[in-house]
Parts: sequence; structure tokens; C-alpha cells
Amino acid sequence: MSATIALLGQPNSGKSTVFNALTGLKQHVGNWPGKTVEKKEGSFTLNGREYEVADLPGSYSLTANSDEEVITRDFIASGKADVVCILADSSQLQRSLYMMADYAGINVPSFLVLNMADVAADQGKKIDTAVLEEKLGIPVISFSATDNKKYDAFYKAMNRALENKSLINVSGLEEELEKIDAYNEMRRLIPEGKVENYSSMWLGVKAIENDKQVVEKLKEVLSDADEKQMEDIQRSSNGALDTGNSKFAWIDALLEGALNEKKSQVSIGKLDRLFLSPVWGKPAVVITILLGLIGSFIPALPFMGLGAGIGALKAPVASALASAGASEIITTIVCNVIIQSFQYIFQMLGFVFGVLFVFGLLEEVGIMARISYVFDNTMAKLGLQGKSVMPFLISFGCTMGGAAGTRVIDNWGQKVLTIALAWAVPCGAAWAVVPTLSTLFFGPGAVVVIIAILATMVLHMWITAKIFGRKLVKKEDRYGMIMELPPYHKPKWGALLRYVFGRTKDTFFRVAKVVLLVCTIFWLLSYSFVPGADPILCKIGKAIEPVTKFFGMGWQLFMAFIASSVGKEGALGVISALFTDGSVYTAFSDAMSGAAASGDLNSILLANVTRPEALAFIFAITFNMPCVVALAATYQETCSAKWTAKIAAYYTVGALVIATIVYHIGLLIW
Amino acid sequence: MELQELKENMEAVVKDLNGDPRFIGRITSIGITPGCRLKVMRNDKNRPMLVYARDTMIALNRKECKGIEVAEVGA
Repeated sequence: MSATIALLGQPNSGKSTVFNALTGLKQHVGNWPGKTVEKKEGSFTLNGREYEVADLPGSYSLTANSDEEVITRDFIASGKADVVCILADSSQLQRSLYMMADYAGINVPSFLVLNMADVAADQGKKIDTAVLEEKLGIPVISFSATDNKKYDAFYKAMNRALENKSLINVSGLEEELEKIDAYNEMRRLIPEGKVENYSSMWLGVKAIENDKQVVEKLKEVLSDADEKQMEDIQRSSNGALDTGNSKFAWIDALLEGALNEKKSQVSIGKLDRLFLSPVWGKPAVVITILLGLIGSFIPALPFMGLGAGIGALKAPVASALASAGASEIITTIVCNVIIQSFQYIFQMLGFVFGVLFVFGLLEEVGIMARISYVFDNTMAKLGLQGKSVMPFLISFGCTMGGAAGTRVIDNWGQKVLTIALAWAVPCGAAWAVVPTLSTLFFGPGAVVVIIAILATMVLHMWITAKIFGRKLVKKEDRYGMIMELPPYHKPKWGALLRYVFGRTKDTFFRVAKVVLLVCTIFWLLSYSFVPGADPILCKIGKAIEPVTKFFGMGWQLFMAFIASSVGKEGALGVISALFTDGSVYTAFSDAMSGAAASGDLNSILLANVTRPEALAFIFAITFNMPCVVALAATYQETCSAKWTAKIAAYYTVGALVIATIVYHIGLLIW
Repeated sequence: MELQELKENMEAVVKDLNGDPRFIGRITSIGITPGCRLKVMRNDKNRPMLVYARDTMIALNRKECKGIEVAEVGA
């Protein structure tokens, strides 16, 4: 018979370390049904018994302020969990037990894990778990999630809780609550057993705290008169101010005789003096992220080599297929769709791996919280958390890496908005094309072009934040920062690597679908099914040339623009092929696989493209959809086809609008 | 006085919290409640405030600090 265990704890309580250590590679990351919150599930086997593990979203309390808390509560109340593992941080015991105090009164068996026992011991704190266990009535253990030898004690506590169906003894908490008049009145309205799995004490507390979901639930079961009375009590009470006090008073009483600590003076450590400095904080954070960016290329290299190796299969596979008598269509599908897609996917996977690793490390060590603190004011102007600065900086290297890096942003709306803005940051591929083109057409004026591009980027991000921000990060959700700066921790390499491998594997499958789909569509549009005839894409391009001329692009440049949505590196190759009457299809497939543009590209361009057109083109490809893998990574992170499509459409249209403006400014100048 | 009026290294006790239920809920759950003692670690312009309370370093948006009423205590 299998059992389900749910992990509950505040942020920084070491929940994910426990999850990783328990499940190892047997974990899956997805979304909660109908919600945009990440769902982490896994399993492990112990003495022949199967255990399912659900890592509940991290939050500071169980009040329904956001999707995270509602999901957590609903999951527990649904009875899906046989036992709940409540995690607290031993080094901040009083504060982190708040989650347990908020949980007390939910009638699902639980046990308490006092994590980070090693840190607490270093600080001279002694915790007597036997005293706590006696008072609480549930198994309590002192624990270090990083210490693999300690898991036996964890399993024992878990099994004891499962066998005894141990519930928290709430009499002490009730005594404290009964000092609140509003609570006593509220309790009289709510008899036991009205809402499954919740005690009337718990419901009463949440009703006083004005928890909308609980109030709705109570309205369903209370008579009209009682409902009115409930609202009256709510109005007259101090809400969470009073109940919060009761919870902490209870925690204090629990810790009486269980916690022995020396009072010590707090001071800010050396590293924090740098990161938290009003002058050096920002440079220090930016340098840290850039070093991280460089660092994330190192694990990426083997993957990129693998990707290139896959690409090199094309020629031998093509000749093998040809000699086996396969038709040309089959050969091109295999080589230019399937092999090409996997070349892209493997090349990008390396970077996803690198970024996940570096970001995961920064988060685990505790630097991520400092980054949030330092950039809070700046990013709040865009409706984002300070952390969002990281994906933006990473996007100068690679948008896909930036999108993968938004993993650290815990609010879905802010995550999607960060990705939407990160697309506006010109990536490494744009930086490879733009300076070359600009120098060719404008000589020393290229510097002005690049400055204009950076200015446009800032403006673009600001406008995009306005347009997308309204829906994604609603006004009422724009709360200021209330966040803990955790102490620095040593990283747990094993768990981190397991997580990164798991995520990369997951990304691989999701991204493969999107990349294969887009590459297939692109192939269908660019392939000449009738020998000698133009592919559909060309026909469309030529037909709408009068329109694209208005954007400053003849059909050749427009084709190159379209190609740049798949990969920017290929855009120049497409141009040179189209202006020299090369086969459109060959041009596309060569350019997409990263073949170098022909040597006389410069003279071809100068002979066929005017300066305003060149300027329009430069801006168009810079602010176009970054590439097919960035699109796929966006889908992977947002888990929303709708928002991915919206962002892609917005950027395609936006790039054309910017090109039009730039083109017409160019016409005025030249 | 309001929390952000305190200077660096000052210690204070929280007297009252003002704000909508959501703010009260959030600030309570991170451990800042009436009676709780705290120390100001950083109070720089254009940065969230940093306070140390209940063994925890907490960053607080300056606007929200207005809702936290405190009384200074001698060190």
C-alpha cells in the first residue's frame, strides 16, 4: 500500500533539499491543474513500500493570499496527503514555527522536522525535541537535510506519524485564542464538522483573519442570520493582528523549556557588507551575474559539441538515404527537420543546464535574495521583483537562458512578464549580426546605431511592461517586498545536480515538441514541392511586397526577417542567397544550420540594399522573436501556449512597427 | 514613530500594525507582530529597509514600513 507525504514549510526552510534527497531522480515537475503554480511530485521506495511525495508551494502562511496558499490548503484538505511533513528552521525556530501554528487545527496527521540543526548548533542553540514532542503530540525530530545519514530518523518519524495518525495538540493554542473576544464569538457560530478536515478552531481563526476562501465556505454552511453575525464580528476584530499574537504566544509557550539559546549580537557579515552596500551593491550583483553567465557556458560546451555532432550527421544520413532510394522529400524531412531540430535542441539544452545550475547555486547559497534586495526599487518600476534583473542580464547572452532563468521567480505573472521583457534584450546572435551590418552600411556611425538599439530596448521594455503588466501583475497584487534574507549556506551539490538534471530532462521533452513543430511548419513553407516553382513562403513574400516595402523591406529582406525568427545567425545567409538568385530552399536550410554566408556578402548587400532599408532590417531582426528555442523555452517556463503565442505575435508585429518607424526616419535623413 | 524613522543600529519594539488584512497577514507571518523586538540593520534611501527580528534578517519595502509603528528602546 502506498502513502502520500506532503512537504509544508516556509521559504528557506530547506523544503526543496528534503524533496530532492527523498526522491532523487524520481521526480516530476509540472503544473497544478488549472493553475500556473509549479507542481513538484516524486516518489521513493522504503522497505518495499511506495511513498509519493508532493512538494507544496512555499509560502509564509496558509492564508489564501495567492494561488500558492490556496493550492497548499486544498491539497491538504482534499485528503490526498496521508501525512504532512511540517518543516521549520532550527536557527530561526520561533519565527519559522509560524507555519505549524497556522497549520494546527487541520485534521490531517503531521510530523515536525526541525531542519538546519547544524546551523542552530553552531549558533549555540539547543533544542529538546522530546519536550516539544510531548507538548505537541506529533513526532518531532531535529534534522539536517544535507546530512544523508540522518534520513533514517526522518523515515521513522514519518512512519510513526502515519501509524498513529498523530494530530497536533492544539489546547495551548486554543487557550491563547480564547483571550480574543472576536474569536470566542466566532467559535460559537461554527460547530465542529462543518467543513471536512478543518477544525472549527482553524475555521474561526481564518474567518477572523478575513480569509476570503474560508469566508465563502462558511457562507455556504451558515444560516443567513449567522452569516450576518460573522460579518459583524469580522468588522469589529483586529484580524490577523490578534490571531498572529496568539500564535506566537503559543509558540513561545511551546519553546519554553525546549529551546536553550545564548543571546548574541547580530552584525552584518563581510560578504553582505559588499552586497548590501548602497554604492557597491549594484556593481557587485551585476558582476556576480555576469560571472555566472560565463560560468554557465562551461557546462554548456559538451552539449553544444553534441549538438554540432548531430548537425554533422546530415550529410552522411542524406547520402545514405539517397543510396537507399529514399525520395528527396523524405531525405529533407529527416535531415532538415528532424536532425536540424535536434541540433538546435541539444545546443540550447547545454545552456539551459548551465543557467539552471548557476541560478540554482546562487539561490541555494543565498545570494539570490541579496540580488532581489539590491534591485527591488529598480525592478518594482516595471512591476517585477528584484530577481528579474538576472534573466535580463542573461538575455544579453542568450534569451533562452534568460527564459530558463526565470525559474527563480516565484510568482507566475511576474515570471511571464519577465520573459516578455527579456525578449527585448538583444541576444548574443543579434550582437553577432548587428555590428557587422551597421559597420558595413554606416561606418563609424555604427556606434550611433548600437546606442539607438540600446535606447530602443529600454523604451521597448518600458512599453511592454505597461501593456503586459496590466494583465499579468495586477495592481492589487503589486505588494512591496517583505522577504527574508537567509544566512549564507553551503551548496548541496548532489541535490542541486539532481534537480538540474531532472529539469533539463523535462525541458528536453517539452522543448523538442515545440521546436519540431516550428521547424516542420517552416520547412513546409520554404520547400519547393514542384521543382522549379517558388515555395509558398516566397510566393507570399512576393505577393505582399507592396506592404513589406512600407516596413522598409523588399521581399528578400522580409524573407530574411522571417528566417530570423527561427535563428538570427541565419538571416544574413538568406539575404545573400536570395539576392544572388540561389535556390530559396537551399538558402533557408543552409542558413538555418549555421552555414557561413557567402564571402561576397558585403558587395551583394551594398549593391541591393539602401541605407534606410538596412537600418530598418537591423532593428527588425534585433527586436524580432529571438529564435525558435527561445520560443520553446518560453513555453516551457510559462506552461501557457496562449501567453507564448501572445508574446511571439507581439514581438513579430512590434519588430515590424519599429522597422517602419526607423525606415521612415532613415528616409528623412538619407 | 514609524519604522523607517529609525536610524541604523537602533533597536525598537513593535507597537502596532496598520494596513489592509493582506498586509497584516503577510507581515505577521514573517514574524513582525506587536511586542516583537527588532534592530535596524540598514536604512538606505532607495533600498528596502533591513531589520533583524526573531533571529531573521528581513527586507521590507519602505512604503510598507509606514504601517509599522514602533517605540525605540535603549540598547
